[in-house]
Parts: sequence; C-alpha cells; structure tokens
Amino acid sequence: MAAAQEPQVSEAQIAVHWREEEYYFPPARFVAQANAADPDIFERFSEDRFPDCFKEYAELLSWDAYWHTTLDTSNPPFWKWFVGGRLNASYNCVDRHLASSRNKAALIWVPEPESEDTKAVTYQELYTRVNEFAALLQDFGGVKTGDRVTFHLPMVPELPVSMLACARLGVIHSEVFGGFSGAACGGRIADSESHVLVTIDGYYRNGELIDHKAKADEAVAAARAQGVEVDKVLVWRRHPGRYASKSPMVDGRDFFVDELLQDYRGKLVPPVSMPAEAPLFLMYTSGTTGRPKGCQHSTGGYLAYVTGTSKYYQDIHPDDTYWCFADIGWITGHSYIVYGPLSLGTTSVMYEGVPTYPDPGRPWRIAERLGVNIFHTAPTTIRMLRKLGPDEPGKYDYHFKHMTTVGEPIEPDVWRWYHQVVGKGEAVIVDTWWQTENGGFLGSTLPALLPMKPGSCGPGVLGVFPIIYDDDGKVVEAGSGSAGNICIRNPWPGIFQTIWGQPERFVETYYAKYNRDKDSKDWHDWPYLAGDGAVQAADGYFRILGRIDDVINVAGHRLGTKELESATITVEEVAEAAAVPVIDEVRGRAVEMYVALKPGVSPSEDIEQKVIKAIETEIGKIARPKRVWIVSDMPKTRSGKIMRRVIAGISNFADVGDVTTLANPEIVDDIRHQVQSVKVSSGEVPRELSPEEVEEIKAFGQAE
Amino acid sequence: MTQQYLAGELSLLLGELQSVAPNEAWTRDLARLRHEAESLPSPALSSVAVRALVLTDELCWDSLTRADTGAFARQAELSAELHEFGVCAGLLEDD
Repeated sequence: MAAAQEPQVSEAQIAVHWREEEYYFPPARFVAQANAADPDIFERFSEDRFPDCFKEYAELLSWDAYWHTTLDTSNPPFWKWFVGGRLNASYNCVDRHLASSRNKAALIWVPEPESEDTKAVTYQELYTRVNEFAALLQDFGGVKTGDRVTFHLPMVPELPVSMLACARLGVIHSEVFGGFSGAACGGRIADSESHVLVTIDGYYRNGELIDHKAKADEAVAAARAQGVEVDKVLVWRRHPGRYASKSPMVDGRDFFVDELLQDYRGKLVPPVSMPAEAPLFLMYTSGTTGRPKGCQHSTGGYLAYVTGTSKYYQDIHPDDTYWCFADIGWITGHSYIVYGPLSLGTTSVMYEGVPTYPDPGRPWRIAERLGVNIFHTAPTTIRMLRKLGPDEPGKYDYHFKHMTTVGEPIEPDVWRWYHQVVGKGEAVIVDTWWQTENGGFLGSTLPALLPMKPGSCGPGVLGVFPIIYDDDGKVVEAGSGSAGNICIRNPWPGIFQTIWGQPERFVETYYAKYNRDKDSKDWHDWPYLAGDGAVQAADGYFRILGRIDDVINVAGHRLGTKELESATITVEEVAEAAAVPVIDEVRGRAVEMYVALKPGVSPSEDIEQKVIKAIETEIGKIARPKRVWIVSDMPKTRSGKIMRRVIAGISNFADVGDVTTLANPEIVDDIRHQVQSVKVSSGEVPRELSPEEVEEIKAFGQAE
Repeated sequence: MTQQYLAGELSLLLGELQSVAPNEAWTRDLARLRHEAESLPSPALSSVAVRALVLTDELCWDSLTRADTGAFARQAELSAELHEFGVCAGLLEDD
C-alpha cells in the first residue's frame, strides 16, 4: 500500500498532466429559470464597481439598520464589511419567512435507519424550537451576547436549531465535527474559552447507534487540562426520553435538553440586533502548528455572501428542494446547508448517516423520495458512490437541475460520471473552489452564463478577483501553462475576520507573503494567500492543484515539512528547524533535518537524539530523519525566510542556485563544508542525480 | 481546499477502530494517529492513512493469533472501510 502522490505544481509536471478539456454548456431549460441568466451581472460585479457591487448581496437580507460604509479598510487586513449596519442572522434565516412560508419545510431530516420516518421541520416549527432553545441557553445556560458556546453534534436537526439559537442571542457558536474525538473537541473548547458544551447522547452511523456522550466527558477533561472549565454540558437525546449512552450523567454539570425544555415551551426570545461585523461563529481548521485555527466569521458580511452565492451559484429558488450532502461540522455545511439556503427560505435536506448505508443506492433513493432538484457533494463521496454503485443512479427516478462539487479538485473522468450518470446529462455542475477561511465560493462558473469544463473550477466568482503569483511575487499569466500560488487580490464579504485569539498568525499566514506595504490602507496592497497551487488557462478558468505545503515522500509516506519542523522545535534547545529531502536508494527519499540552536546552547549528540525522538513521537518512526545537522545558522532571505532549496542542494551535493540575495550568503559555504565533509568521510556521497532529481531538488522549498 | 472533512472522516474511522482495540496499547496507538488526523495539516493525512492501515493489519493478525474471530471480523470490516475511504479520498493508491 502506498500513499497517493501529492498534486505537483512544478511546470514540468504540469506539462505532463495538464490537458485542456472540452466545454459543456448548460441546458436551455436551466438557463430559462436561472437566478443569474442576464450577462449584465458581470458588469454589475466588475472591478470598477468594487466594493459597492456587494450591496446586491447585502440587499438580499433584512437589516435592522442599513450600513454607512460598505468596506472599511482602515485597519488592514482586518476588513470590515457593511459597517454601521445591524441585523440578526437567526431572524434572517427563520422569522422573516414566517409571513409567506410558515408551513413550508425549512429542513427535511433523513435518519440513517430506513425504518425511521423522515422528519420535516417547518419554518414555524424551526422558529419555535430556535426560540425555546435560545431561551434555555440564555436563562439556564447563562450565556450572553459575545460568549462562545461549543457544539459537538452530528447531523441531527438539533444542530441547526442550536446554531440559530446562538445566532439569535448574538452568541458565537463553535461547532466541532461530530466524528472528532473528545480530545479534539476539548482543545477547541479551550481555545474559544467556551463554558457551555452542547452535545447528544448518540447517533446512527453504518447501522449502529454510536455512543457520543462519552466524548463529552473526554472533551471537558481535555479543556480543563488546558485551563478552561466547562460549567454545563447540555445533552440532546437522539430519542427524547431514552438515554442512548453508557456514559453516566455528571450531577450538576450534565443536563438533558429535552427535560430542560419543558420549562421553556412557547418562550420567545427577541433576536438581538447585532452589528454587521460582530462574530457569528468560529470554525476550526487544522494549521501547520499544533494549535488549531479558529476562523472567525462575521454576521453581516458572511451572511450576505453565503446568501448571494447560494442564490446565483447554487441557483436556489424558494420552491427548490436542495440537498447539500455534507456535514454541518464543516464550513460547507454552515454556509450551504444552514445559513445560505435558509436565508433564501428554501427547503434544505439533512442526512444523518453514511452515504453508502445500507447500500450505495441510498442517496438516490433519498433524492427520488424527497424530490431533490439541487444536489451538492464532495469528490470523495462521488468517487465512493461511483466505485460501489456505478449504475445505481439510473435505477431511481429523480431529476437534478443543478449539482455542485466542493472540497477538492475533481478528475475529469469522475466529473463526467457525475454529469452523465448522477445528473443524467440534465443538470449543470458547478465545481467550486474555496476554503474554511473564505466563508463561501471563490472560484466557480456562473451556471447559466458560463460553460463547464471538467477539472477546472472556472474563473473567480462575482466580485472576487483571483491572481496567481510565483514565489517572487511575479504574476503568472493566464495561458502560460505555469503553476503558482493562487491569491485573491481584493477583500470580499465572506472572508474570515481573523484567527480567534491569534491576529498575528492571521496576518502572517494569509497576507504577509505578498503584502507590498505593511502600512498601506489600500486593499490593493494586501493580496490574500489562499495556500493552494493553481494554473490558469487562457480562458481564465483556474485548475486547482492542491495545497502548496512541501511534502517529502519517504517510502510512500508523504511527510509534510511543516509537521517535521513543528515536531523538531518541540525540543527545548532548538530555535529553528528545516526539513529537506535527500535521494535515498532504498526509500526513494529520506529526510534530513537542519537545526539551529537557541543562543548559549552548544551542539551535542544528545540534542540530535532528542530531535529524532521528538519526530518519532510526534509523527512516527517512518519519519525518523537520516541525519540531524546542527548548524550555526540557516541560510535566509532578507525577510528571514529559510532557504530550504539551498540546504537541499547541499545535502544532495547538487547546485544550490543563486545565493547572492541571501541575508547571510557566507553561511552556505560553512554548512556545505560541515555537511559534505562528514558525508564524504562516511561514504555517503550520492550517485549523480538524474535531471528529474536535479529539478526536484531545485524546486524544493518553492511552496513557502 | 476545504479538506477538513477528510480529516474528520479519517478521525471517525480511527475512533471506530479504537472501539475494537483489544487492549490499552492498541488504543493508545490509535489515539495518537487520530490526534494526528485531527490536528495536522491536510498533506499529513496520507501518512496517517497508511499508518492506520498498517496498524489495522497488525490488529487483525493479533486477533487471529488469539483466535478472537469476532474481533477479527469487525476489524477486517473497518480495515476495508478505511482502505475504501483512503482510495476514494486520494490518500491511498489503489492496489
């Protein structure tokens, strides 16, 4: 078994793999009914209309007070959208639909066991449930506007109810994916300093009722170990009145929500009018260091963005039955199961379980039974459904007008199966590119107005202007066939506001690389670094190549350099670390670690052993470095970036390239002498590298 | 890309394997892998998936050695699920 190959970004690789695909055009029947069918929309969202173009999205919402400034750039890159405006997200997703659609299904929840009935939650019922739980949170939970509440909930209706209850109170919710461990949940509780955890006793997965409450106990303990005490654990029950967990309830801390709700029946809580820039929720994502990143999303900008993109890109109409087959525990679910669709007053389908349970025909049975006409899922799920039931869609009588893929690049042949077999050749596909940090889509075709091209997400979405830079900040032109780092030149309303509690990391990770002037208040000087590699074809469509983090492939195991370096700097004496690959006849590639020590610390074999031990402990024995080199300093650019390419060249006895621009070029010879003399004396001089290997070593470090 | 869900699914599968681990040592090893899936950046997921499969293989052999067919059957089922997911998610190469 080998790990799959990392998508490459080198030009040589692109030349091999890049092939232009043919266009597919949207059916006339789709165009005729589309929300965005007039090409004039491109003019309305052109760059010279920025940022006011996004008023069109904001005007889809109900505001308590209109904004006075569309985009405030006074504190870059902490952009503020619709400043002065006030609104409530819960009101926008629930209350405002009551007048016209009180008895329409807001949510249709499909339990995993087919023996259980599907449950429809009307807008009226959602309103009632959200109000009652908001009252409980406020009164019993003691939470107030600005507090954080963590959820560890699976795909049950109680999750959107809890989210909207928090939004109603101006409380910041932080949902942790239900499948994550209690420890992971505890880390996120601690980071957000939540004192209330909302969970459930159990849920179905693959035909089994999973004991979920046990994880709450682990989460509380993990949070406590990190200095945060959870005061209350509110436990929904999968079957009210019947406890599904073996984990005992802790007296005075754990409470059954269904029992508490008896005291809040019929209670109404007025929605709190929130400033547009108030945080709505945190969504954690793993980072390159151990501490997860709590992406903080705003109320007004985020809600406007997901509502606008749901309308134009998902083509959601109020009478559609829309199914985003994702988990609300991820940003896709927040934006395109809950906030976007409900803000537009449509019917959003939720499914509790595994896509292939009890068989790979399940999704299509659901689609047929519920009359789903918009379908949205990830390439991994599509591949799985194709593999396990390639002919299943044809057995069911459903008809999609629109399908989405999200989350990763989709191969053209998988795309074609999705189009021909799942979509029966009748549906448009939008292949969307975006990330947790972005709130909503960044790259996609506008379905009625732009043709689809398998494997490409399309151009930047309305009002979003992507660009590809090379490592030196030069623009990589469309049609050049070259890959680079995809960036967004301008702010957009859905962009996250900061990393919760880590504003420096926010600036450093997403803006520092291509910032032209750190004192500038002009957004043009602050391109956003998305962290993905991409190629732009001559037609302006982007093909996304995956993360740009460097990877060393050791015997089929892909090891991220950042993981190796993060593990190394856990050794107290180490100040800086750099991981590089060396050509290895047995394993293909091996890892060599370069470390610089803290001032006053002397090199020793003991420190080398500590580094090896730290890597083995943090990552595993497979990552054990072949060598640990303690050097007096690292070769660095003037901005302080370690030049891994130079070190990799030394380790492999290869050309180190131009070093004249380094801040400390003299260190290169010192390191070369130190490393290569040891290797020569111990017979470790590698054979002559092949041209491909030379290119690989030269390209190493380009991702930084 | 929004690949957090791959980390989530992998974590979930590792959690299920934890529940069929025969002793503390296996549970600890699986917990460590699960922690990696939940906290490391997405390029690390392939490595986690490969090591999880290796560990699962060892788990299955251990159960067979102890003639615990019940545990073996469940572990083998989860191993197949893990493999299927890894391949479809692009974390593992198909054999």
